[in-house]
Amino acid sequence: MHCKELESVLETEGLGQLPKDARLHLATCGACQAFVADLNSIVSAAKSLPAEVAPPDRIWISLRARLEAEGLIKEPVEVSEQPAWWESFRAWLKPRTFASAAGAAVLLAAIVFVTRISQTSHPGIAKNQPVAETPHVAQPSTTASASAASTTPVREPSKGTTASKTKELAPSPSESASFTLSQAELDVPDMQLAGNSQVDLALRQNLRTLNAFIAECELHLKQNPQDELAREYLNTAYQQKADLLAAMMESGRGEN
Amino acid sequence: MCASSVIPGTTLGATRRIRTRSGAATGQLARQRPAQPVAWTEAEAIRLAQAGNAPAFEFLYQLHGRRVYALCLRMVGNPADAEDLMQEAFLQLFRKIGTFRGESAFSTWLHRMTVNVVLMRLRKKSLPTDSLEETLEPDAENSGPKRDVGAPDLRLTGAVDRVNLERSIEKLPPGYRTVFVLHDVQGYEHNEIADIMGCSVGNSKSQLHKARTRLRDLLQEEIRQQAREERKAAKTPTGSLD
Repeated sequence: MHCKELESVLETEGLGQLPKDARLHLATCGACQAFVADLNSIVSAAKSLPAEVAPPDRIWISLRARLEAEGLIKEPVEVSEQPAWWESFRAWLKPRTFASAAGAAVLLAAIVFVTRISQTSHPGIAKNQPVAETPHVAQPSTTASASAASTTPVREPSKGTTASKTKELAPSPSESASFTLSQAELDVPDMQLAGNSQVDLALRQNLRTLNAFIAECELHLKQNPQDELAREYLNTAYQQKADLLAAMMESGRGEN
Repeated sequence: MCASSVIPGTTLGATRRIRTRSGAATGQLARQRPAQPVAWTEAEAIRLAQAGNAPAFEFLYQLHGRRVYALCLRMVGNPADAEDLMQEAFLQLFRKIGTFRGESAFSTWLHRMTVNVVLMRLRKKSLPTDSLEETLEPDAENSGPKRDVGAPDLRLTGAVDRVNLERSIEKLPPGYRTVFVLHDVQGYEHNEIADIMGCSVGNSKSQLHKARTRLRDLLQEEIRQQAREERKAAKTPTGSLD
């Protein structure tokens, strides 16, 4: 066998087990020995290169946005397997669900409460209703924003004086959200955020930033209750805080 | 020869279950990731993605993204282009996922799209030194290794380190580079590469051998270049003092 023939054997057979005549030639030809050794070195070095590299998160974020824009991604479909009843119960206890439910309950209770107050202060409208006791004085934190709430559209259709009174006195959804989030936040530090990992530190830092922003928005709204943009910012911040708290509790649950 | 058994992407089967990590992130990222871990087979995820299920899309992305990104990175040599190409490849994949019938492995299908996207980009860039035709029509006359008298011995000089090899891979013609990366770096077998590249198994073997041989030449040239620079640097200090 000649060098050229060994070359074609290597091309078809690779660097694995060579035929006998190729091995015989290799044993006597220094040039071919060096050639094969070099190729083996290259293959060994190539195996040390990473076959997988983690892509940056921004690729998926951007890709997902494009998929959504093209309508390729639709809402998640239901998984065919029925979850067990305890799974449903656990899902209900999830922070976000629980916060939403609690917020809705607080809002409903406030509407009922204020409606009753307004009915007692207008006997002509509600003649047969029992007279209520002296209503509680509003909390200082809600007094200022109660006037701000007068400009906030209420989802209930307005019906006569009672409804308009309700509109004036009922806590705004923002206030309810604030209350609910505060309650949720109280639970978080002891229960979930004991860790000192980078993720926990970042979450805590984000929460501090959000709280500062919310306080600033609330202060601004007290001074400028007509500022719809500030109200919008505040609502967005509440939503972000809810998400953040949910993420924190989720993270803590994973660690605990 | 190649280590496909340890490479996750090549052994994906319909029964393989992979669990994604829970999305415990903040802000925008938290909304982009699934709230709960999901455990699907690849086939289940494909079926759900065909119905437009967002978590299934992400599952498939997480499953294959690392290998696709590594391939793009190795092919174009810079992260910005690699990100762009990876996104383009997955976009094409998800646009066409409704047509996937499982005739070939999903990872092969994805890699074929990725290779096509990458080669298309490289053609548009029209690399100045080498043409793609070189890789598609092997030239028998030039296929043999150069055996220069006095050529540096790669083993003795230790030239085949990671940096030199990566630099030399970037200089390979795109077709050679694709086969070399798929086989020697990512561990695909020749039949899989033939499927990905749309060529015969024999052609894949031939391309690989030529790629290795060309790499050897490039590495030897690298050693010569370094030697020239060292000689030049050895002369420079006396001149620079004047």
